[in-house]
Amino acid sequence: MPDLNRRQFLNRTALASAALALSRSSPAAVAAAARPASPGIIDTNVNLFRWPFRKLKYSDTAALVAKLGKHRVIEAWAGSYEALLDKDINGVNERLAAACRAHGRGLLRPIGSVNLAWPDWEEDVRRCHEVFKMPGLRIFPGYQPFDLGHPDLPRLLALTRERGLLLQIAFSMEDSRVHHPAISPGTVVAAPLIAAMKSVPAAKVQVLHFSGNAQGSDLGQLMRETSAAIDISRWESNGMVGRMIGARPETKSPRVPVERALFGSHAPYFPLETAILKLIESPLDTAQLHAIMQGNARKLLAAA
Amino acid sequence: MTPREFHLNPADYGLPTRDELVDLRIWDSHFHGFYGAASDPVAQYRANNFYVERMGIERSISLEIGGTLANPLTPAPHDDAVRAILETDQDRLSGITPIDPGFPDESCAKMEKWIRNGPCIGIKYVGGNKTGVACSHPNNDPIIRLAAELDATIYIHTWLKVGGTPRLPGRDNLPGESTPMDVVALARRFPHVRFICGHSGGDWELGIRAVRAQKNVLLEFAGSDPHSGSVDYAVKELGTDRIVWGGHGPSRSYATELGKVLDADLSRADRMKVFGGNFRQLAAPIFKRKGLKLER
Repeated sequence: MPDLNRRQFLNRTALASAALALSRSSPAAVAAAARPASPGIIDTNVNLFRWPFRKLKYSDTAALVAKLGKHRVIEAWAGSYEALLDKDINGVNERLAAACRAHGRGLLRPIGSVNLAWPDWEEDVRRCHEVFKMPGLRIFPGYQPFDLGHPDLPRLLALTRERGLLLQIAFSMEDSRVHHPAISPGTVVAAPLIAAMKSVPAAKVQVLHFSGNAQGSDLGQLMRETSAAIDISRWESNGMVGRMIGARPETKSPRVPVERALFGSHAPYFPLETAILKLIESPLDTAQLHAIMQGNARKLLAAA
Repeated sequence: MTPREFHLNPADYGLPTRDELVDLRIWDSHFHGFYGAASDPVAQYRANNFYVERMGIERSISLEIGGTLANPLTPAPHDDAVRAILETDQDRLSGITPIDPGFPDESCAKMEKWIRNGPCIGIKYVGGNKTGVACSHPNNDPIIRLAAELDATIYIHTWLKVGGTPRLPGRDNLPGESTPMDVVALARRFPHVRFICGHSGGDWELGIRAVRAQKNVLLEFAGSDPHSGSVDYAVKELGTDRIVWGGHGPSRSYATELGKVLDADLSRADRMKVFGGNFRQLAAPIFKRKGLKLER
């Protein structure tokens, strides 16, 4: 048997599994079998280690990697839950890089963190880039004690742009109604980010778990006035992925251009199944699926 | 694109195909097809049927039949249209009617109209009311006695919203919005009646603790964010027989609610119980009384 690289192996096993699964499926599903192998998923919103308030089912990195593989995730951009509350951010990033090396076999791409509220955060940017060879950074405003109005945000955007790093901004982590009583992270608002991005328009930014205000005005502004990408993990209600990108005929206009929508599961806090099912629930065509599942992510962050 | 047209094969992603979802016999005990911001609740229901069909949901139990959740005892303009849909779509749609424990006599009258003499199979306690009466209040006893007489299913919205000073779960609930502890207090007075504690208490880790000793309380998970491991924990603490599934569509994604159960390490038989078997067992007496079909 010839040697197969990871992608070839996944493509071949996908074809075999599709044939098996479709043997008992509907005509429409059987028609789908004629299409090329299903694309692997790049999950842009995964975190490793222990959620500060509960032992998650897949907090063990080896278990999470197995879970990602089971659901055909071929690459996961992994942050660290430790970054939410820890003061030793360098230690957080060091452990994250080591875990990605030890467990991912190329599947996990470490996304380090900096905390603008801690002194000398610029050195953490340098170490993430130069020492840990990370392709991006993820910040957690609210849990990390600053909001997006922090005066250093433009400086962080400038530094990530200079170094070619992606900056991911987690707008929320869990429903505020179930926060542990000891914390009150507050609501992270987008307006200061939009203003800061105008001063550094070439910065690569992705917002994570973003729902925005009820009127949708901040999402609209974010899409109109910046180049920020967004993950789907917070998109809720039946068919929402399709409605957000304008896939359904009744949708007047897309709220998010499809080329800026990226798969993100928010695993292991959320079940990985949820985000994948959203792609199945929405009536998306092949091109839209491919863009969200991996194409847009690959444009934002080239392959390692 | 038709509801059954897919450009991804779920099996390639470790997920059940539509046919496999259909085989699981999914009953949505928490359906909001006629509720929400929609100016036309009937149009919203019909639009959502695309997703019901696509995700293989066998039966939906609407929680807002007769009146609205905001004003349960006031007839709504669309009541007649919804009643007609319950008749024409009875092979896939059932309804329960919201009541208001602030007004027990009026609530019982509504149950006579919509359950004994109407199409509904149960009652819903909504998430708060103007008089601030939770489900544990003595006002509820005549309502529950009548529900038991009618074999009606009983769904109680519960939450434990963190807030207040000192900051604690449940202190940010709305007036009259029940907690899982309220459900337990009520269930103790009616040990032979079964209750559904809705939304898993909002905070499932605490909600499950609250209800676990009260065996006549079932738990339903819909309408809160999907948390990996939550259903596993509920099964461990309550057993599979005490969990029912809700979809909470269209305001929540079926993807979200299905994902909670697919995340759990369950046998196929147990997954079928959670997805519909347990609710069918609960509703069997009233289905029989009304001559409705439980089986396909």
